[in-house]
Amino acid sequence: MRQAAFAYDAERPVLKDVSFEVQAGDFVGVVGPNGSGKSTLLDLIDGVLAPGSGAVLVNGRPTREYRRRDIAREVALVPQHFALEFDLTVRDVVEMGAYCRGAECSPAAAASAALGKLGIAELAERRFPELSGGEKQMAVLAQALVQNAGVLLLDEPASSLDVSHQLALFELLKQLNADGLTVICVLHDLNLALTYFDRLLVLAEGGVAAWGPAEEALSPEVLEAVYGVRALVHHHAGRTFLTFSPRRSSQPRERGRVHLVCGGGTGSSLMRELTDRGYEVSAGVLNALDSDEVTGRELGLSMAVEAPFSPVGDDAHAENLRLMADADLVVLSDVPLGHGNVRNLEAVRAALARGAQVWVLEGLLDGDHTGAAVSLRDTAARFFADEQAVLAELSRLPRPPAV
Amino acid sequence: MTDVERPARVSRAAREGWSGLALAAGISLVCLIVSLAFGPVSLSPAQLWHDLLAGPGSHTATAIIFWQIRAPRVVLAFLVGAALAVAGVILQDLFLNPLTDPYVTGVSSGAALGATIAIVAGLAGGLWLTGLALVGGLGTLLLVWTAARRRGRIDVYVLLLAGVSASYLLSAIITVLMIRANDDLGAILYWLLGSFSGRTWTDVETALFAVPFMIVPLFFTKEMNILLQGEKRALELGVDVERTKRVLVVTAAILTAIAVSVAGIIAFVGLIIPHLVRLMVGPNHRRVLPFSLLMGAALMGIADLVSRTLLAPTEIPVGVVTTFIGAPVFIYLLRRGRRT
Repeated sequence: MRQAAFAYDAERPVLKDVSFEVQAGDFVGVVGPNGSGKSTLLDLIDGVLAPGSGAVLVNGRPTREYRRRDIAREVALVPQHFALEFDLTVRDVVEMGAYCRGAECSPAAAASAALGKLGIAELAERRFPELSGGEKQMAVLAQALVQNAGVLLLDEPASSLDVSHQLALFELLKQLNADGLTVICVLHDLNLALTYFDRLLVLAEGGVAAWGPAEEALSPEVLEAVYGVRALVHHHAGRTFLTFSPRRSSQPRERGRVHLVCGGGTGSSLMRELTDRGYEVSAGVLNALDSDEVTGRELGLSMAVEAPFSPVGDDAHAENLRLMADADLVVLSDVPLGHGNVRNLEAVRAALARGAQVWVLEGLLDGDHTGAAVSLRDTAARFFADEQAVLAELSRLPRPPAV
Repeated sequence: MTDVERPARVSRAAREGWSGLALAAGISLVCLIVSLAFGPVSLSPAQLWHDLLAGPGSHTATAIIFWQIRAPRVVLAFLVGAALAVAGVILQDLFLNPLTDPYVTGVSSGAALGATIAIVAGLAGGLWLTGLALVGGLGTLLLVWTAARRRGRIDVYVLLLAGVSASYLLSAIITVLMIRANDDLGAILYWLLGSFSGRTWTDVETALFAVPFMIVPLFFTKEMNILLQGEKRALELGVDVERTKRVLVVTAAILTAIAVSVAGIIAFVGLIIPHLVRLMVGPNHRRVLPFSLLMGAALMGIADLVSRTLLAPTEIPVGVVTTFIGAPVFIYLLRRGRRT
């Protein structure tokens, strides 16, 4: 299927100047904010709507030149909402998909084949209005498969499915795609889009914001521009996934700077929480590839970093002191202390000596293998039971205490 | 539902295809015979058979009653009943609303206005009345259809309000015409009430024009089934929706107009018959259409029989009889519809 530039103009344009081309056998996801014209795009490809200007081509031929029956043999659509009040059986409904094929196939045989392929043969004689939302979705998918079209369009097929049925559906679509079906699927869940689709089309404000391989199309820059949220790309166990923060990264940090002394994952949630709340966060000294270091890198924090599994060296220590000097507040997580990172305690004492505010999680003392931390009890450092107490105290203060 | 029950239901559904249809045809035939036999002068089955074989040229008293009075009105009642029922099926589908009928959508009133104009203008004979009823019915349907259409979808509330408003407006115009036309007042009033009294073979000939239009929808059963999912889905599945709708709307309007032009306004038949048939055989049009045709004919035959025998020798207009039967059923269906 080829698709040229088109624009759709009603009283208010839903899609303006959208151009992209899908090759036969592609597996394409379409994402975009609410109202970005995703469903309209599907209706245009299916020829239900005609472009106001430009052209939509299916197999190189403009959709408006097709008769309805002929385009239904090329493009099948699974709508987001499907209403049928009348008391037809699932088999009756699925057989309707054969309408466009005329006498070339037996509707009963095609329906049985489609129901079997989707593993819902047992629904055949049930009454359609009595089905659950997910079952209806599968029945309508079967109806679309009976059309035997080369292109399958789906409009948010996952929205009424629980997680196991979502995964089953996308695996099924993958399999149909492997058998040669071109799939174009509108969906909301960006992580599902990232996991399953080869290529993604990102629509925003009636235009194409990105179009290409999934991970490129959903870069944090695109997501920030399109959705206005801060997106973080994580790699875990061979999968790529996204998490989101409400704040835009371009927003100035008004709330002050916090330096975290952490490691081994003890500081990750504070890093995220403080960043989301608008603090400028720094950390150190962390070993490269330490899970806190990975999180800090994803969040784009300033950090003093030492080589993996190495004790804190002079350069990293100096950087740590510099970061601490810029901070309004230093927080020590309950990181285990050993000879490798005990030098961070030295940096904290230097800060205390300067009169800086230092907050310590009680847990630090439990994981201290050097015996050095207990001496903080005799300083101006304040102790907190857990992270929640730290965050509660911070939100009580208008700004972190100045140095 | 258990697995044991399921195959039984399937085979029953399969049997309903032909044996059910044969049953409906049998019921209609019985109704036809009963309608022909009973009346102010009742005929025994033997007399009925004898008169039928004697042919229209026979001059015995019962043969004259049979051929000149009873047969034309009974045949006419059956044709009108079938036409209204088929029109009802079509309109309920197109509006995707089971409470639609030729009466609610204003089509009957439009046809009535056309016919009234024909009577007032002295054109009551022949095809003028039918033609004007047709134009009135079709025009009203298009008007209501356009008013209720919002971005390719029919708004049911607007539809019902527009249909009822149109009915009132047209009735008002008819009333004005009646006041202005002293001489024809009786003719118009009698005709508006709906009756088969005094109808002749000429009227039957007019009604026979409806037969091909009762057959047209049978070629659109697949499209009508698919349209139950809404117009957009029908488009997606490859149905030429606009063409199908045009054909069906015109068919329904012609059927209604022909029915109204020969028998006046007979309410509720087009509403109830499709409903009852769906309850009996399900929503598949391959069954709904022929069943509605047969049951519409049978019901109208019986309604006409009641109209001429209940208070004999006085006749109750058949439109009054169908309203007596139809209104309670309509209210029952409304309540039932709200529950589901």
